[in-house]
Amino acid sequence: MWFIVEDLINGILMGAIYGLTALGLTVIFGVLKVINFAHGSLLMVGMFVAYWAVTLSGLHPYLALILVIPFMFFFGYYLQDIVIKPIFKAEKDVREPITVIIVTTGLWYILDNLTLLIFGPQYRNIQDNPLRGKMLEIGGMFISVPKLWGFSAAILTALAIYWFLQRTRMGRAIRATSLDRDAASLMGIKQYKVYNIAFGIGTAAAGIAGVTLVPFYNVFPSVGVLFDIKGFIIVVLGGLGSISGAILGGMIIGVIESVGPQFMTATWTEGIVYALFLLVLFVKPSGLFGVRYDW
Amino acid sequence: MKILEVKNLVKNFGGLRAVDDLSLTIEEGQILGLIGPNGAGKSTAFNCIAGVYPPSDGEVYFFGEKINNHNPWDLCKKGLARTFQIVKPFASKTVLYNVTVGGYVHTEKRAKAEEKALEVLKYIDLYDKKDMKAGKLTIADRKRLEIARALATGPKLLLLDEVMAGLRPTEVDKMVEIIKDLRDNGITFFVIEHIMRAIMALSDRIVVIHYGQKISEGRPEEIASDERVIKAYLGEEYGVS
Amino acid sequence: MTRENFQKLSAALLLIVSFGLPLVLRSPTYLHILILLYLYAYLTTSWNLVGGFAGVLPLGHAAFFGIGAYTSTVLFLQYGISPWIGMVLGGIMASIVGVIIGLPTFKMRGAYFALATIAFGEGMRVMVENIDYLGPFNLNGPRGLQIPPLNVGLANLMFVNKEPYYYIILIMLIAVLMLTYTISCSKLGYYLNAGGEEPEAAKALGVNVARCKLIAMAMSSFLTALAGVFYAQLTLFIHPKSVISLDLSFEIAFIALIGGRGSIAGPVLGALLLRPVSDFSRIYFGHILPGLHLIIFGTVLILVMIFQPRGLQEPLTKAYHRLLDRLTENPTEKE
Repeated sequence: MWFIVEDLINGILMGAIYGLTALGLTVIFGVLKVINFAHGSLLMVGMFVAYWAVTLSGLHPYLALILVIPFMFFFGYYLQDIVIKPIFKAEKDVREPITVIIVTTGLWYILDNLTLLIFGPQYRNIQDNPLRGKMLEIGGMFISVPKLWGFSAAILTALAIYWFLQRTRMGRAIRATSLDRDAASLMGIKQYKVYNIAFGIGTAAAGIAGVTLVPFYNVFPSVGVLFDIKGFIIVVLGGLGSISGAILGGMIIGVIESVGPQFMTATWTEGIVYALFLLVLFVKPSGLFGVRYDW
Repeated sequence: MKILEVKNLVKNFGGLRAVDDLSLTIEEGQILGLIGPNGAGKSTAFNCIAGVYPPSDGEVYFFGEKINNHNPWDLCKKGLARTFQIVKPFASKTVLYNVTVGGYVHTEKRAKAEEKALEVLKYIDLYDKKDMKAGKLTIADRKRLEIARALATGPKLLLLDEVMAGLRPTEVDKMVEIIKDLRDNGITFFVIEHIMRAIMALSDRIVVIHYGQKISEGRPEEIASDERVIKAYLGEEYGVS
Repeated sequence: MTRENFQKLSAALLLIVSFGLPLVLRSPTYLHILILLYLYAYLTTSWNLVGGFAGVLPLGHAAFFGIGAYTSTVLFLQYGISPWIGMVLGGIMASIVGVIIGLPTFKMRGAYFALATIAFGEGMRVMVENIDYLGPFNLNGPRGLQIPPLNVGLANLMFVNKEPYYYIILIMLIAVLMLTYTISCSKLGYYLNAGGEEPEAAKALGVNVARCKLIAMAMSSFLTALAGVFYAQLTLFIHPKSVISLDLSFEIAFIALIGGRGSIAGPVLGALLLRPVSDFSRIYFGHILPGLHLIIFGTVLILVMIFQPRGLQEPLTKAYHRLLDRLTENPTEKE
């Protein structure tokens, strides 16, 4: 019986981390109204940056954040500015820019395979990992310490982004643009600047997620693919553009994944996740916590 | 013959009552105008009638048949066509292609649909632009294309939603002529319009709505001198002469 | 020579060359490459019925490929039913599944629709990977199904040489192209295009947009399943990751997009241009630079979307018409 509670807790912790990986996706989707298929790749880039930062400097993994966050922010900012903005401009009148989805998929292919080319397919993980395998024992249950760190990082990041969107000028501009981009631009908000920043924030969040994963997850070029689809599912589950939705949606997936295998095979658990996803899509596409936007 | 009968039409969007107890009738061969300030509920009423969404309450009858929950495409086949306030041409296709889509309503054969389309294009004076991509037309031509498409479906009743918006006075007069001509050829019209010179010239009768409710109905001259209407909408220049 | 005659002549020449190729090209490796090329051209053209004409972005078509492959293989292995019949049955199965998927998903916005098709595709793969037996049918889960090369011959769609496979897929490709052309000139084609571009306007013009999309989906899934059967008989081994793979779904979609969805020549053109790139870079650079072809893919995709969103067929078709004008007389009168 205790196993279930232990699984539940670990599931919630891991789920929050999933939510963190999806956080960037939901911000980008909420503001730009596009699915960023390259999100998993951005996560992978974040992991590689964190890995190299730690391996070369010997610092504690979470200290790598100092490097990762600004790097990822600007990486995302300029990615949006240089590659994606031209398509937005070309498709200004189209209600749903499908072409951008296609372009982000191209980015995904390029990023993943370029990394493969440069770094090779081998799995990497950091040596002298201060967090490796550490467990916290509470009343007979073993809680994973790196996941606990990740959980805290997820909550903190979510709060930080929430605060940014609610309390700062740029945050308000981002929220305005996500509600009605034409009205917002008529108010003097530079639409593409907002997009760039939103993309930067989303990518930075992916970077943070990467840092939390590096202590206990292998780093390799196609690691992003696993999180990509999961990210979409979480984002739809939680509601597009909803930060709390992303974290909570992630927790739901995390719990299913860790409790599920007690009762069925791991791949059936995967199937349940897909089934849940489809259910949400059909019944309440705006997600559990989302708002119905007419876009 | 009452071609369209609207009885106590109500449309709610959540807490907002967009159309409130609207009733009107259109006789065959009439041109009925619908005017009112912005947000009065005109397009909403149109959408209810044209099957975009069902009314919250009330009934709509087309040739005596209740059409409350009908789909736009079924209504089109029955002879009820409409245009859109913000024109929606199939921009990547030619003018002829656009109108041919409408022409397919009563046939399966491409030749017949195209024939009908060419006929309509000649009538509405868009024939020489038939091979142009619809996305490259001027706004005036796009509005005419919008009407041409609807005409190709062979409608008995045509709902026009602000077809004059964005046109210059000469273009407006031309459009009025076209509509009157079409009416003489047997099509009944229900027209939403903001441009006064058009609606006054066109309509046999006018219905005025404000906040979703009908506040006046009558011939153009009657409407122009109705105190309530003036107060709500028209302004002094069109007052009692 | 008039334009029309010139086009007829070129088409005839093309047919002669493609049918005659195996007589000149004897190497099974090259024939195999061509077979796969035609297969992809077939797949992208079938996908185009939904992804191009109907204007949505389906990213789960491999599911239908897999349904075809599994249906005919299981029937063949367990009951000895000929793959030709398996094609028909697999096609019908795929059609039904396609319509079931289409019913709820066509109502969704573009991005959601794409995600839903991915979920269906992946969900199906997961299901097949986990099930050994579906009722009386042995699916053999992740181990896959192998077809022993006995009883070769036309009746069983199994051959020792590559040539017969080549001709079958070539005929299938020609057939599907002709079908696409016929549809594009028909009422369904007009209605699909209208519904894909401006659904509200199309509805007001008498188009039952949802029904047309479902018809297109039923056709598209049927045709895709046929290709799955062909593939099963070609490779004689199928397993979930190879026939119901996300990579395949994506590849089909992107080749069609690069070539130009919504047009007839686009998907074929895309396959003709991109498959050789893929094969070439895999054969020659596979060891030193793995994944190179995917990087090229991705870059081409992005460049095409930025500069030629209607696909490469647009500038190529224009160039073709200019060439025609130069080579023939009275170019515009006939059109």
